[in-house]
Amino acid sequence: MTFLEKQTDPTTPMHWNGDMQADYFYSNGVAGDKFFKHLMKKDTFLASECPKCGVIFIPPRLYCEDCFCDIPDENWMEVKSQGIIRANTTAMIDAHGDPLEEPVIMALIDIDETDGAMLGRVKTEILDMDLCGLTVKAVLRPKNEREGTMKDILYYEPY
Amino acid sequence: MSRRVCVIGIGHTDFNSITPDVEWKELMYESCQKAYVDAGVDPRKDIDSFITCAEDYLEGFSIFDEFVPDQIGAVLRPCCTVCGDGLYGLGTAYMQIKTGLMDVVSVESHSKISDLLTLGDILLHAFDPVFERPVTGPVERPRYGGSPEYTKEDPKPLVGSTKEKQRVHPYFLAGMEMQDYLRTSGTTEEECAEVVVKNKMNAFFNPLADYEAKISIDNVMGSEYLFSPLKRLDISPNVDGAITFVLAEEKTAKELGVDPIYLSGFGWSSETPWLSTRGMSADYATKSSQMAYKMAGITNPRKQLDIVEVDDRFSYKELQHLEAIGLARPGEAGQMLMEGELAKDGAIPTNMSGGSLGIGNCFEATGMQKALEIITQLRGHAAKRQVADAEVGLAQAWRGIPSGSGAVAVFERGGA
Ligand SMILES: [Zn+2]
Repeated sequence: MTFLEKQTDPTTPMHWNGDMQADYFYSNGVAGDKFFKHLMKKDTFLASECPKCGVIFIPPRLYCEDCFCDIPDENWMEVKSQGIIRANTTAMIDAHGDPLEEPVIMALIDIDETDGAMLGRVKTEILDMDLCGLTVKAVLRPKNEREGTMKDILYYEPY
Repeated sequence: MSRRVCVIGIGHTDFNSITPDVEWKELMYESCQKAYVDAGVDPRKDIDSFITCAEDYLEGFSIFDEFVPDQIGAVLRPCCTVCGDGLYGLGTAYMQIKTGLMDVVSVESHSKISDLLTLGDILLHAFDPVFERPVTGPVERPRYGGSPEYTKEDPKPLVGSTKEKQRVHPYFLAGMEMQDYLRTSGTTEEECAEVVVKNKMNAFFNPLADYEAKISIDNVMGSEYLFSPLKRLDISPNVDGAITFVLAEEKTAKELGVDPIYLSGFGWSSETPWLSTRGMSADYATKSSQMAYKMAGITNPRKQLDIVEVDDRFSYKELQHLEAIGLARPGEAGQMLMEGELAKDGAIPTNMSGGSLGIGNCFEATGMQKALEIITQLRGHAAKRQVADAEVGLAQAWRGIPSGSGAVAVFERGGA
């Protein structure tokens, strides 16, 4: 320490307890709205295909990150809400480091007929840590309860 | 003649798991004062430009750059903040000097992470808000760690309709990536555990390290799975501290009479943020190393680099990064580690500082900690951990979960 004076009594350092209010209203965007409004009515997902390189994006996008070009409306398609687990982990702790009431299997799921993947929770009786390659399908909220957010996808389960 | 950029001064605080006795500004002041004394410069007269590297959310206040000038000697001087790892600040300083706009530039980065009571929530805030973050749990946090108004028994009311009360810790992403790395590279959990053993042992020889320990592979393997296959001891614990460098154009360095260490190559690269299209093999490290190697004239990194520091905030990351930057063939880093090739007398001494596993995770100062070790080694000041005849060294940085960004810097000893 470059200061001549230091605190030497460990019982005396004090602090101010700060509180940061930071609440947001996140727009889904054009592509997001299309995806979620579709999901409120159907049990399938929407994907979008780059007109130049042919990559099929899910979550769908309005532009291709490789070609940096627009993806037009006619390049949107309906795909099944199912896929294959690319990677997974069983999370044991919450954001504060406390044990989760129940372990949560988080997975990145390669969605069938696309080049993309969705992050999701998996519910299964399989006890293996490694679920890669497992085919899973989305379990959705009943249609009358859907709100047009990711919460409409309750979890994925093996099929 | 092309201007050459060199490091002429380094300064750092002690690194501690908590620092309740000092304010973050006092940490910054200390590391700056030490670096300025080391370089023999007066910041009010001799330094042309000041750079800090920080992220508002980790600091706990908005518009961090406004809070910077007074404690680094930069009031009413050219000053800016880079929102990223400290190595990005070094790159910015490099460009300012290289263009001839500035002759002497200081770069500071730090961690006062113990001030942050809700780190997990802040990192979850870095996930895509529409498609990814909601999967981790409730939109609003169920309790408010630091605020006296909300307790576990009487939590902040939830916003949004969900029955879930808990949010998954953001490090789940490292668990998924580790699983992918182990499968695609053939690396074992035991080899990752050995990274922890090695780095915590190296930390005994580094006085600034806070998490040195004598442990065995069994200790690591016996620690509980938090995000399988990632275990508690595979994860670097948090630490507070600050680091400052002074960089200068070669001529100025010679006038000051300091032994310069040249910043001879620099590169940086950012992956797409989308988990859906992002690779899991640290392509950001590959790209940034290629850029830095080209600038530094390195054609055979395995032969030309004498010492390296790579990001090891999760044990597997050290092995993955060594492969990504061309110091090991895919799947070979674990084997090299077990054969002693990453030790002080091995072919590629790696993380002799103790790395993040041995020193602690100092967040945006992590890349600077890597660079600090390389400078110390190239100066020949690393005492018991000194690598013999170290002339060329590399520091690699990754911005941490959930980012896919990183940078690489190559340093050379004067006359090398
Ligand atoms: Zn394309």
